[in-house]
Amino acid sequence: MTPRRQFLAVLVLGLGFLTVFRLLEPTNYQIGLLMRCMILMIVTIGLNILIGHAGLVSLGQAALYGVGSYVAAWLALKAALPFLAAMGAGILATAFFGAALAYPTVRVRGVYLAVITIAFGLVFENILVEWLSVTGGTQGLIGIPRGRVFGVLLTRPIYFWVVSGCLIMAFIVQYTIIHSRYGRAMRATAQSENAARALGINVTNIRILAFVISAILAGLAGGLYTFLNLFVNYETFTFLHSVGFLLMVILGGTGTLLGPVVGTSALTYVVEVLQNVREWQVFAYGLLLALIMFVMPRGVVGSLEDAVRRFWTRRGGRESRAWPNRGAPLPDLLGARPSFEGPALEIRGLTLRFGGLTAVNAVSLCVEPGTVHALIGPNGAGKSSLLNLISGFYVPTEGEIIFDAKGIAGLPSHVLARRGIARTFQNTELFGQMTALENVLVGLHQHYRSTLVETLFRLPRWVREERRFLAQATQLLDFVGLSDYADEEARNLPFGHQRRLEIARALALRPRLLLLDEPAAGLTHGEIEDLTATIRLLTDHGVTVILVEHHVEMVMTISDHVTVLDYGEVIASGRAAAVQDDPRVIEAYFGTGGIDVRRPLAASVGG
Amino acid sequence: MGEVLQYFVTGLSLGGIYALVALGFYVMWEATRAANFSHGDVYMFGAVLTVVLYGSGFPLLLAAALSVAACALGGALIERVLIRPFNREPNAIGWMLTTIAVGIVLESGTTIAYGTLGRPLPTALARQPLRFGGAGIYPQELLLPLAAVAAMVALEMFYRRTILGRAMRAVAFNPTVAGLMGINVRRIAAIAYAMAAAVAAVAGILIAPVVEATPSMGTLIGLKAFGVAIVAGISNARGVVAVGIAYGILEKFIEGYISTGARNAVGFTVMILMLLAFPQGLFGRKEVAKV
Repeated sequence: MTPRRQFLAVLVLGLGFLTVFRLLEPTNYQIGLLMRCMILMIVTIGLNILIGHAGLVSLGQAALYGVGSYVAAWLALKAALPFLAAMGAGILATAFFGAALAYPTVRVRGVYLAVITIAFGLVFENILVEWLSVTGGTQGLIGIPRGRVFGVLLTRPIYFWVVSGCLIMAFIVQYTIIHSRYGRAMRATAQSENAARALGINVTNIRILAFVISAILAGLAGGLYTFLNLFVNYETFTFLHSVGFLLMVILGGTGTLLGPVVGTSALTYVVEVLQNVREWQVFAYGLLLALIMFVMPRGVVGSLEDAVRRFWTRRGGRESRAWPNRGAPLPDLLGARPSFEGPALEIRGLTLRFGGLTAVNAVSLCVEPGTVHALIGPNGAGKSSLLNLISGFYVPTEGEIIFDAKGIAGLPSHVLARRGIARTFQNTELFGQMTALENVLVGLHQHYRSTLVETLFRLPRWVREERRFLAQATQLLDFVGLSDYADEEARNLPFGHQRRLEIARALALRPRLLLLDEPAAGLTHGEIEDLTATIRLLTDHGVTVILVEHHVEMVMTISDHVTVLDYGEVIASGRAAAVQDDPRVIEAYFGTGGIDVRRPLAASVGG
Repeated sequence: MGEVLQYFVTGLSLGGIYALVALGFYVMWEATRAANFSHGDVYMFGAVLTVVLYGSGFPLLLAAALSVAACALGGALIERVLIRPFNREPNAIGWMLTTIAVGIVLESGTTIAYGTLGRPLPTALARQPLRFGGAGIYPQELLLPLAAVAAMVALEMFYRRTILGRAMRAVAFNPTVAGLMGINVRRIAAIAYAMAAAVAAVAGILIAPVVEATPSMGTLIGLKAFGVAIVAGISNARGVVAVGIAYGILEKFIEGYISTGARNAVGFTVMILMLLAFPQGLFGRKEVAKV
């Protein structure tokens, strides 16, 4: 079943369940329990997007839930704001706190967000208890008026459908976010931050987006809770509740569509049962969390999905085809890229120091458009550092980098990627747990024009773009001969195929300048020939290539220009044949000796 | 003047606790790029176990030594069972949850077995407060900042001078290469966790005569200490101890000049703001991204 069908099936089943539940004339207690459970599901759906997709952990989700709840409660009670306004304000306040918390932390490390969110949760709890005049202290806010929408009083039977509607909306948002470029960018960022940046994704923004979405859902749930309970109190929003939300997500299965629903239902049920064991309740709760981590780290839904996948996996029938596939419409795929006026890339006096170590020392070079410019040199010569400078991963200490007549030194990688500088990595950096097709789609991320709103509501422009880019991604896979592997996870591909996929992904950016960091390393002889042919084909279509490579034979056959680095300095630069005979180059590779080493150079350095 | 001095010395004592617990976070983080999120409960357990052993007739020092040993063993066990299997990928988060879980179990288990009320641990140093310049403090309380500084110096010596300490630093820098050099990375990690747990237990035992050990004494201290370690940049012992002591003093001044109720709200807010201003931590090294 495709994800889309699964999603629709769940939606229909869910609606069916809710309708049948209402028709069975449940007790007031049962309705209340189900409504509370549905409200918690809205929180866990948000948390699932954050943990399962963006790979970030929040240990303060209960506090965000509380912000939405208290803001709505206070406004309804003290400012007599109507239901929708109070809810809206609660959501806005939560979104604001979400953004403010996420901004400093997501730039650094995942664990920082955990610490900040814990701190935020404790501050919030402290304020709720101590700021008597506003929050009502330990008593909380009592006597909140029942909500009213367009003159209709939200009595329990009506409110039941309000909550159901919100849950369904949250569920739909989860689906549309996950199956869109935003969801792909979140997962890409979680799996390889560097590769995501190199593909034009603003890693900070995408993480903040994930956090704000999860905060908004928590705020929505908080408001709903307020108008269900009609009284709020700090006890619902403690650290232990944040842990509980996390537990629900993991129990259900992080990153799965149905996980939050299953996990929340299961844990709500367990908590109901555990109320009978009194003082052992918290103990059992902790034990359960540990047990789940050991027995089912992928959660209920995740484990089931794994089992189904093992059962249904298609065996055999995959064939990698020859590449480059000249049948693929390369000019279309590479798009209309403006040609360079003057050199493609010019570097002047570029220096990079790490503390006392000078990795790149006053390097100047000029790359002509549509050529292959090779950077060679012994290990540690500064080739990769230079590549990292050009692609924005390092900030130069001194010097200028001019791309298409504009200075780009110090610009962040995702900006450079958007301007048309694509790269591959020395140790391939694929998004291992995403399929080959998704990897390429991440490369197409920055060509989308549809906005977040268009994406969420699946408006026509989004539909058109998604369809078009899906076709393009397939064609790119076809170009490198991997169309049979489209739905295979990248980590399962053989090494040579991974290199191909990385190139296809870089091409998805429609690069004007392509940086290849040792693309031949680890490839067989035949594969290197294919790679050479591919690079040729690309330059024929106007792509400028900078190649860092140890395989001298390949470098000499393919390069228009070779620059040799040693100890971070340019020791020779010119046409391939001229450089090969340069005594300084020979010395750099072999040291000085009496023997004539010119002939073995090509043969022995290669490989 | 007396007030200021009073806030300062009691803050010094409180800061000593934060520093000692935060040092443990630093040691664990260096060895595994992960930590026991419930480290505060180890601090609690060290204190409670000492009180229980002392109450059942063991001499004080022996009770303390046994408790520290038990916590160290527990620390190694936590590393082996709860951290290692859940910290295999670079961005793994499983260890956070497993250690939070064990913290919940430890705290609620202790509550069931020991009760919620504190019990005293009488020592000679907590009988007669020292008085000077209008301020008063038990000598026992002054042991904490002293212990923190001593632990820091010992730790630095250990890291620089001993084979084991050097191996630990090598593991922190690059576990794979350290492993290739013949260092038993797994054992190193377990030893680091045992050390961290022992230091936390010592902190708990030192404060027990003054505050009376309760099962809930650790959670908040642990979370604050983790915050302290992160704000310090979690990359050198001196920074961790300095920030820990400073945070203790800050809290006492907040209590004195604003209100006791505002302590956590203001303290944590300062912590969040510090991280806003210094995302790498105050004494943190900027990590060069490996590309």
